[in-house]
Amino acid sequence: MGFNGISGAVNEPGELPWEVVVGYFAIALAIVFIIGKKYGGLKAFTTLDLVYIGIGGAFAMVWEFYIGSFIGRFLPSTPFVSVGFWGRLIIVFIVAGLVRKAGAGMLTLFIFDFLSDLFHYGFGGEPMFFIYETLTYGLFVDLMIVFTKGKIFGIGYTPKEVDQPSAISVSRTNVLAALEGGILGALWALPDPLFYEGFFGPFIYAYAPNWGKIIFHIYAFLPGDIIMGIIGGILAYYIARAVGQ
Amino acid sequence: MVPWNFLYENPLTQNVISWFLFFYGVALPVVIIIGAIGLKGFIELTRFEKGSTFLYKLNPVTKLVFGVVVMAVASTTIWWIGALLTLAILPLYLTLNNGLKKFLYVVLLVFSTIIGSTWAIAPYTPTSVLELVFPNPSSYETLWVWPSYFTYMGYEPVLTLQAVIYGLQTSFRVTATLVSALLLILTTTTSDIFRMFTKMKIPLPITFSIMVGVRTVPKIFEVLDTSVKMQLLRGLSYNKPKVLRVFYYLYAGIMAIVPAIVYLFRGAKTLAISADTRGFRAYPGRTSLVNLSFTNLDYIMFAVIVLLIIVDIVANLTGFGRTIPYEGL
Repeated sequence: MGFNGISGAVNEPGELPWEVVVGYFAIALAIVFIIGKKYGGLKAFTTLDLVYIGIGGAFAMVWEFYIGSFIGRFLPSTPFVSVGFWGRLIIVFIVAGLVRKAGAGMLTLFIFDFLSDLFHYGFGGEPMFFIYETLTYGLFVDLMIVFTKGKIFGIGYTPKEVDQPSAISVSRTNVLAALEGGILGALWALPDPLFYEGFFGPFIYAYAPNWGKIIFHIYAFLPGDIIMGIIGGILAYYIARAVGQ
Repeated sequence: MVPWNFLYENPLTQNVISWFLFFYGVALPVVIIIGAIGLKGFIELTRFEKGSTFLYKLNPVTKLVFGVVVMAVASTTIWWIGALLTLAILPLYLTLNNGLKKFLYVVLLVFSTIIGSTWAIAPYTPTSVLELVFPNPSSYETLWVWPSYFTYMGYEPVLTLQAVIYGLQTSFRVTATLVSALLLILTTTTSDIFRMFTKMKIPLPITFSIMVGVRTVPKIFEVLDTSVKMQLLRGLSYNKPKVLRVFYYLYAGIMAIVPAIVYLFRGAKTLAISADTRGFRAYPGRTSLVNLSFTNLDYIMFAVIVLLIIVDIVANLTGFGRTIPYEGL
């Protein structure tokens, strides 16, 4: 018996030490504050950005719990295939491409979590999921936005040596979109096995962690997430253009 | 030993029936969702409509607290308390606008969730997990033996009665939460939820994005529905046998996704402009014409909530606490 469905089990055999987890989230939080201070935090978002984020969060939720879970029923259950998660990944990348400001990833994940709780889970295990998902998946996307100086997936990027925006620059930005999407996809494959299965699962539901399974899941998630990351990056590039950014 | 053991001992019937069961578990919830609830039903179950009965009059905070408490009680007590809660909350849908219709939709949704969750859990649950609920593995009753290659799909070699019971029990945790969460959505205007969050001092940009999200969920179903209908109007599945209709519907649904995303994102500009012209974020705080207050109905509801918490504590003290380990749910 614990609080809000959380058992609070730490130091279970095989569970990731809580010091490591707290350390990660403390550093992540510090990074968030630094980014927030440097780039203006919530105030930097225009109303339009907030609408994009809201719609993106809603679409990711509808995809993961209605459309994706529906399509997933027709596919064999294997850790290599995760239609629901892939949909969320692509949609969050698209939102990041449309907004291109630090914080977009975290806020989208926060809205996604809130809506999933409202429509599906009923706030069980909160606030753990808000902390976990925004500071892993969301933060990775935001760090990429910071590293690319707001030109994530090559959107708004024009190579210096090219005089006219010809086919060369388009193909180059496509390579950028694929590369950045692929890297982000690979990063997205890690939190679930490492943090969820290794710590939050045991912490919230008190089940025994299994490192064989965790390592296997990292290997199993990587290929699909990288491919979807590449697709997501390219799609974000084209949708941002179609929507008129 | 079950009377139909000869069926799974013969490889031919074993294969045929196993695949039938596989598709049954996959398809029945889908058939219920597409055939009976449909996108229309989802719109009905996710969109606020004006009403005057008691659920509409409650303060949003009361409804949110109720949902959270139902979830907490269902997830910390034995399965049948979750099942009873589901049954107790379901009739509340009859008090809503278009109550009977909403009630029927939500009953179908609950039923398909039960079947779906049971089949999503039962064939995959290993004996080591089952032992935590049913301690004596030698007493397990075998219902079906899958062909050996089913293990590649993550299936356990044998489906036991205990695994099915376990799946069924776990599904009631989901349904209790589902029916109480949908009640909040159906009976609260987005602006009331907005007011509630403002009062709770949540930053305005976050509240605004959440509200856009809540408003968008039924709209997504609506846009997908329109897109599917347009494709059918343009001749998709025309002159094709009726049996194949479901597949065309599915195909049209998948083809509708990208246009729906682009359409919604393009519409974002209009929404942002209209919010800006109404002076959104012109001042740091927010003023409101409507003052949300707590009425007698809220206090009655709070009494129910306290009662639920007492039930939870009593159940835990008397050994009816969290007896199902539910891995990964």
